[in-house]
Parts: sequence; structure tokens; C-alpha cells
Amino acid sequence: MAERIDGVRKLFTSKSARVDTNRGDLYYQQLFDTCRARLDALREQPAVNRLDFDSLLTDEGQDRREFMKWVSAVTAMLMLPPMFTPLVAEAAELMNRLPVVWLELQDCAGNSEALLRSDGPKIDEIVLDIISLEFHESLMAPSGHQAEKQLEDAMEHFKGNYLLFVEGSIPVGAGRDWCTIGASGETFLDHLNRVAENAAAVVAVGACATFGGIPAAAPNPTGAVGVMDVVKGKPVINIPACPANPANMVGVVLHYALTGQVPELDSLLRPKFAFGYRIHDNCERRAHFDAGEYVEEWGDEGAKNNFCLYKMGCKGPMTFNNCSIVRYNEGVNWPIGVGRGCIGCSEPDFWDKYAYERPMANANIKAPTGGVEKTVDQFGLGLLTAAGIGIGIHAVASAVAGKREEGGEG
Amino acid sequence: MKSGRKQVKRMTGAMRIIHWANAISMVAAVITGLYIGHPYYQTLIADGAVDKYVMAWNRWGHFIVAIIFDVTSIVVAYLYFFSRFEKPYKKLIPNGKNVTEFGEVLLNLVTLNRRKKFDSTHSDSFNTVYFAIFHLLLVWMLFTGLQLYVHGLESGESSIGAWWPAMLHLVTDWTIPITGGSLMDVRISHHVTMWLIVTWVAFHIYYQIWRTIFWKEGDIAIVFGGSKFAKEQES
Repeated sequence: MAERIDGVRKLFTSKSARVDTNRGDLYYQQLFDTCRARLDALREQPAVNRLDFDSLLTDEGQDRREFMKWVSAVTAMLMLPPMFTPLVAEAAELMNRLPVVWLELQDCAGNSEALLRSDGPKIDEIVLDIISLEFHESLMAPSGHQAEKQLEDAMEHFKGNYLLFVEGSIPVGAGRDWCTIGASGETFLDHLNRVAENAAAVVAVGACATFGGIPAAAPNPTGAVGVMDVVKGKPVINIPACPANPANMVGVVLHYALTGQVPELDSLLRPKFAFGYRIHDNCERRAHFDAGEYVEEWGDEGAKNNFCLYKMGCKGPMTFNNCSIVRYNEGVNWPIGVGRGCIGCSEPDFWDKYAYERPMANANIKAPTGGVEKTVDQFGLGLLTAAGIGIGIHAVASAVAGKREEGGEG
Repeated sequence: MKSGRKQVKRMTGAMRIIHWANAISMVAAVITGLYIGHPYYQTLIADGAVDKYVMAWNRWGHFIVAIIFDVTSIVVAYLYFFSRFEKPYKKLIPNGKNVTEFGEVLLNLVTLNRRKKFDSTHSDSFNTVYFAIFHLLLVWMLFTGLQLYVHGLESGESSIGAWWPAMLHLVTDWTIPITGGSLMDVRISHHVTMWLIVTWVAFHIYYQIWRTIFWKEGDIAIVFGGSKFAKEQES
């Protein structure tokens, strides 16, 4: 209850969910100057690693033209006007000044996988390659005490400057002591808090790190929560989804490199440039929704004609994400594109409240009456029937009483 | 008119218009709302999407009646306190007189009219409380419905200006944490409340007919002609 009250307070004091894509020339001119100064300062800093962006591009078989196309797209994604394009390109080139520490806690490593596994080297990956990834348990060669030493060194050397990426939820309940890291047996909770203390900002990636995800699904045996419930006193940026879209990770990193600040966030701390819109409103099947054309059954005529998946349980109308625009795997495809509904993976409590693959009217949702699993409509119809029976009994009793009265009088 | 009875005015013209506007809106809202939640009839696949527009028409109808509802709610809220005809809030104050009357009307109902120790000429506490619950349910529908609606205007723009979505966010965003933290909770709550309202309506219609039959004062006529016929008080 206290959490909900907190939530209400936050909502009333937070800015409206409006996505402001045009703030006027004066605003952008000032932002441009800020970014210019920021990039100049960044250039002065020594590179954290020796990787050179341009030669890396060439090595991977990408040319400058390819790169500039990508830069234009990213500038648009960040909702910046075209005049920022050269700055974004410069920010990408200066990525080797940006130290990043990546923690992996209670999850399936899906976000790391999403980032690493694709069919060929893409510019997104090259950008992330060049970031000085100082620590990533799943990727780094050292292990055990050597790995811990690496982390200590990074924390000491880049104190207050590194971006902390967190993947996975944090068990704070009964499971708190089950999950430990390293030889010292430090719990996930203590580990995260210690590393977050010296970070410039914390980026929670994936459904687990943001809102608890699947580990936090009912009955949540480990007492899993998201990063924002644990880390206090640091800017937290949430990039939910299962897995988080690498495009949005790159967007946040670029924004940070460019401005030295976190991007504008919504009330759930998600960057507005990525989570300001429902996927429903940019869905390629939206016309079929409005027309009332739905897939009724997997593989039917409607499915063959790319009809709307709403009746198959698509949660697009309630899900805020840019995957209908940027898609996954370099824009190759996305869930709706392959003919299955959205499961709302970038929303809080997505597993319990969104991921049933039925429209709400056909889903087993916990009724407000308590633990009994009933659909809302069954509950409502039951309530109406109960009222109807009550009315019936009262009506019959009234009629009987009326007759008796008449008999008595007459 | 039968002797010994007098005509009592109970609803003004405005009140009756609001009543029937609400009743018709509600039927339309339930029919279109059930379609929106779960499209229960199919369209002809052979037609072009532009010719059908079935979901869009259902949503259009749902929003139009919702707006009528919302506006009448504002009028009703005003009349609650400032009506020149009668001020319902006075019957809601839990003072001794009102509590007694509430109990007596309830006893009248459960004893099947064997006991009637209250003045049935005017709106009683029981009915006023019953209607207050209805109005609260409608207000809840208003907030949750507008919250679900405003997310179609994420750009912050609307045909009537940017103030409208901004205001809706300001006024309805609190329904998310109250219902459980996600938009899905708001949706479920909106859906459940529909059933509560339908149940409310079932009892409402029954009770008004029951009163008409048992009190023999022509209560059902109130909503058509605006008045009923009460027995002349002896005292």
C-alpha cells in the first residue's frame, strides 16, 4: 500500500507523459552548444582503450557512407533535429572514452545474447565493442579472484564516471542469500549497491532488471525486484523488454556521450524516445484492427492475410515500446511481424498481467474477489446472476406476501 | 385522479433528460465496450478494410456515449449540491434522521412492505445512497476510461489541442498505481466495474417496479412524467 501511495505521489509530481518532439529553435541551439562543449571535453580525455572507431569500421567491412546512414537514423530515433547528425557521429567515435561496467544478476543472459548474437557485425555492435567494457562476468576472460580484481580496479580508476549496466533482477526477499557472487559470497543486493555507489548512472536493461520480469512473477519465490527499487541516489534509466532492444541501449549510451545527461524519462524511468509510444499506434496491422479484421485461430485465412492479432491476445494497445518502428535484429523483424501477438514485455508485471496469450475476455485473471482464478466476465456474470436470484427470491416472496395480504383483507 | 391522493413532483425535466441520456448511453457503452474487449462478431473478409471499419465504429460509439456520460456526470455533480429543486447531498449526511430513514426503507424492502415507517413522498435516504454508489461507479468509469483513452494521444496533440491529453494525464494517471501498477490493471478494473454497474441497474429496475406495485403511488411514472401520486397524509 505504501508503495502505491508513493507511486501516486510520483505520478502527480512527474511531468506529463507527453513526448515533446519539437521544442523550438532556441532549445535546440542551446542543446547543440551544450553537446559541442561536452564532446570537446570528452575528446580531451584519454581513451580508455586503444580501439579506434574508424579503423574498426573498416576492419568490419563498413564504409563511411554506411556509418552516416546509421547516424541519421539514430539521430531521428533520439528525436533530435538533423543538425545534430555530425555530433552523433562524433559521439560514436568518442565511445572509447566511456567506461562501462556490466553486472549480470538473476536472469537468463538474454540481453547480453541479444547484444552479441546476430548474423553479422553491425554498426550498433561496433559502437558497443568500442565502449570500454571494463567488466562483464559472462564475457570476460578472467574468473574468480582475477575477475573481482578487475572490477575493483575499474571502480577505483573510473570512480564516478562509469555507466553501470545491470541485467537481471535482484532477490531481496527469501532468496536474498541464495544468490551470491564471487569467492567472498557477496549477495546480489550488496554487490549491486557497492558497484552502483561509484557509477555516474545506472542503466537497467531487460524486463528483469527494470521491473523484476519473470523472476518476480507470482509467487516470486526469491522476492525479486528491479534495480530502481534497490539503487537510491543515482540516476536510473530503465530499458525494459525481453530482451531489451540493443538499438535502445545504444541510444541511451549515445545520448549520455552526447549530452552528459540521461535522456528524458517517463514515470517508469523509461527513455521517452523509445517508450513514448504504444506499439499499437505504429503497428503494420493497425488498419486491420480498426476494420475489425482479426486472426481467429492460428493459421486461418486471417492469419494468412496478416490480420490483427488482438483476438489472439496481442497486448499492443497497452504496451509502450518502439519495436514496431526499430524492430529487432537490425530491423529484420519483430513479434507482430512473424504473426504472433505482443506479450507486453516492456510493461511492469508483464508476466502476470500481460503475457497470457488470450484477449482479456478469454484470459484467466485473478478476480478482485481474491485467490480464485476466474475471468473477469465470469465473475461479473456470476455477480449479475447472484443479484438476479436475489431479485427473483424477493419478487416471489413479495408476490406471496401480497396475496396473503389481499386474502386477509378480503 | 383518485381521491385522497396528491400529485408530487419528483424529477425536473433536466433530471429526466439526464436519466434517459444515461440509460441509453449505458446500453450503448456496454454493447460497444464488450466488442472492444473481445470483438464478438466477425466482418466479411472479402470487403476492403476501408469499407468496414468495424472496431473503429465501435470505439467511436463507445467514446461518444462516454463523453455524454462524462458531461452529464459533471451536471449531476453540480445538481447534487446546487439544485434548486432538491439537494441530494442532504440525504447523504449520516445524521440520526437519515440513518433511521435508511434503515426503515431497507426494512420495508426486506419485510416485503409489511412495515412502512417513513415518508415515501420524497426521495428517501436509501435511494439517495443507492444512487450515490451508482454515481461513484460512473466517476470511476470516467477516470479509468479516460486513462485508457489518453494513451492513443501519446504525441501530446489532439484535434482540440495539446491541453486535452495533458489534462487527462494529470487527472487520470493516478488510476494506474491505485489499481495495481499497470495499464492492464486499469483495463481490468474498467471491465469489472461495468459488471458492477450492470448489476446495479438490474436491482434498480426491479426496485422501482417493486415500489410501484407495492406502494401503489405510481413511482415508475416519476421518470416519464416527473411526478408520482402520494397518499394524503392524515396529519
